[in-house]
Amino acid sequence: MKKFIRKIEPYLWILPSVLLMLIFILVPIVFVFRMALSKVSRAGLIKGFTGLANFTKILSTPTFSMVLKNTLVWTVAVVGLSTLLGFILALILNNAFKGRKIARAIVVFPWATTLVVQASIWKFILDTDYGTLNTLLMKLGIIDHAVNWTPSAGAWFAWEIACGIFVTIPFVTFTVLSGLQSIDGSYYEAATVDGANYWQKLFKITVPLVSSSLTVSTVLNIIYVFNSFPIIWNMTKGDPGNRTDTLVTYLYKLAFYNGKQGEAAAVSVIGFLILLVCATAYMVATLKKGDE
Amino acid sequence: MKKKNLKKVLALSLSLAAAISLAACGSTPAETNTKDDTDTTQESDNTEEETESTDKEESSGGKTEISVIAAQYGQNTADWWKTFEADFEKDNEGIDLNVEVISWNDISTTVNTRVANNQAPDILNIDVFADYQADDLLLPAKDYVSEETYNKMYEAFLEQSNVDGTIWAIPDLASARAMYYNKDILEGAGVTAPPTTWDELTEACKKIKEKYPDVYPWGIDMTTDEGQAAFAYYIWNNGGDFTDADGNWTLNSPENVAAIEYAIGLINDGYTNTDPANETRYDLQDMFGTGKVAMMIAPNSLPTYIKDGGNEVNYGMAPIPNNNGTSVSAGVMDRFMCFDNEYSDEEMEAIKTFFDYFFEDERYSAWVEMEGFLPATKTGGEALAAKDESMAEWIDIVGSCKFYPTAKTEWADVKQGVISAEQNALLGESVQEQLDNLQAEIAP
Repeated sequence: MKKFIRKIEPYLWILPSVLLMLIFILVPIVFVFRMALSKVSRAGLIKGFTGLANFTKILSTPTFSMVLKNTLVWTVAVVGLSTLLGFILALILNNAFKGRKIARAIVVFPWATTLVVQASIWKFILDTDYGTLNTLLMKLGIIDHAVNWTPSAGAWFAWEIACGIFVTIPFVTFTVLSGLQSIDGSYYEAATVDGANYWQKLFKITVPLVSSSLTVSTVLNIIYVFNSFPIIWNMTKGDPGNRTDTLVTYLYKLAFYNGKQGEAAAVSVIGFLILLVCATAYMVATLKKGDE
Repeated sequence: MKKKNLKKVLALSLSLAAAISLAACGSTPAETNTKDDTDTTQESDNTEEETESTDKEESSGGKTEISVIAAQYGQNTADWWKTFEADFEKDNEGIDLNVEVISWNDISTTVNTRVANNQAPDILNIDVFADYQADDLLLPAKDYVSEETYNKMYEAFLEQSNVDGTIWAIPDLASARAMYYNKDILEGAGVTAPPTTWDELTEACKKIKEKYPDVYPWGIDMTTDEGQAAFAYYIWNNGGDFTDADGNWTLNSPENVAAIEYAIGLINDGYTNTDPANETRYDLQDMFGTGKVAMMIAPNSLPTYIKDGGNEVNYGMAPIPNNNGTSVSAGVMDRFMCFDNEYSDEEMEAIKTFFDYFFEDERYSAWVEMEGFLPATKTGGEALAAKDESMAEWIDIVGSCKFYPTAKTEWADVKQGVISAEQNALLGESVQEQLDNLQAEIAP
């Protein structure tokens, strides 16, 4: 009897989280799939199975391919650049210097602020008429009249990406920093004795040893940034003409502005599948590499 | 070794699942807002989620229960309904009234979820009705509103809820638009009278721009928030419309194309705010309040908005400039509707009592005034006009304005479609082509 309890004990411990996951993750996913395959009236009533009609309708619009492209640019740019910058910042913060604790605390700030607030502040800074950036530059005498920092859709998107990077860096920094601190100093001593230079130490010791932390932060960031809603929604709502929409803001508009909940669910399913494939592929690849 | 692999796979899938759920948490939009003007858009300027519900009293022995979902127009809406509920129950002892006040951002989602779960409210106060009507969820207005109350409504307002000859919803309040202008700027620039025609408008913009290079002569909002309003202002004042007299869509009519080309021209000539696809009417109202925008089209609530913002402007009000001799104001109105929940006779009576009580002149005018809107009943209009002279002017305007074709089920698509067409035109694409495509999509 005791042996039996021993055997099932671990499963009992994970049971609550498995149940929570089933209820809060699996059930909604099933609902979204069902909606994506159904004809849904504007009032939200499911009016029967339509197969892939919602998908074909979505895939046939030119807007969708533009939005998909935006989503890829957004995810790759934000995750890629914030990983690079966050990594560099972590290396800097890992050095012993005066005021290191304060510096580390400051790095957390962008992370500790709600995204909605961040996005609103960035929008306020950039505003042509009342923006603090123009005011500052004019006070400093660098420009003599207000500059429109967001003259085009591309400019808006670039600023949104910049904001995304700004709020994502802290997470990368801290994940990498925790990895860096677990590296035994004797590796570096040994390398120094063997005559390795800074770059050799960086690429032969540091990078391989923090790669598991980097994997975690990258996978989480891919998912998080891909699904990020508040920055784009608060800065441009995906405007003008869907030029700054990503899948998430696009499906929100489809569902709640156009009342096409079936098609919105289809977009959601497409996003889910892309994410699932990317995240799985990335994790499998990096974990395999770790085995070698 | 095998065991190790299994563990790895398990760990991988668990962390993946956790990651996805984490991502889902992060992407929940949490915004709310209150409306200072009734329209069919969902705006999102504020950032806290808030669903206020008045105290719910669960099943009260033998009483007839009615449930109401009401839209949150402003900061005081929920409190007003709470008092209303208490007064109503005191005066009608056999009825247990439950009013839930929900912010504009959440109300559609909430109602749709209830409808999908067969828990539709009895009475709903919201902007649009056609989607519910199309699903056969509503009762005709005459079934649930007493004749006396029904006859109080402006005919033109009731007509906005006409589908196939039946009126399905009744108006709760309305608002209308006019042109506001900064008297000091116009005078300073040598514009003696507010522009009434498009030629005069262009001329006025030119003069203002020359005299005050830092002022935007004309405000335009082509955002996802309310870009359909801009579309309506220009097409209606050029003799165009969304539909013809028979209700067929005429989105790409020559008048419409010319109208939008004119608006885009104003923007390209530098006479307007710099980013019409992103600057909402509220942004423009702020700029008008500080004298950065000289003229704009806005609802009757603008003066209160400017005052609440702590600004002061020497403003005047005039009809929206037009290109064909008649100025048309854009009206917007919200509605009450009644879901078909298979009522007993007592329940039907209770619902009628609710509407009689709500639209009682004194109570109703007080509510409309509190929310800063215009009344939808003739008696309410008379009462407000008698009380406030500036109101009288608006009540005239609202009696003669045009409305969006919200009774048509394609409206949601048309609305987003015209906004998208405007924004693409801003990016340099042809207005004609955009509207041709939209027309083909809406009415193939």
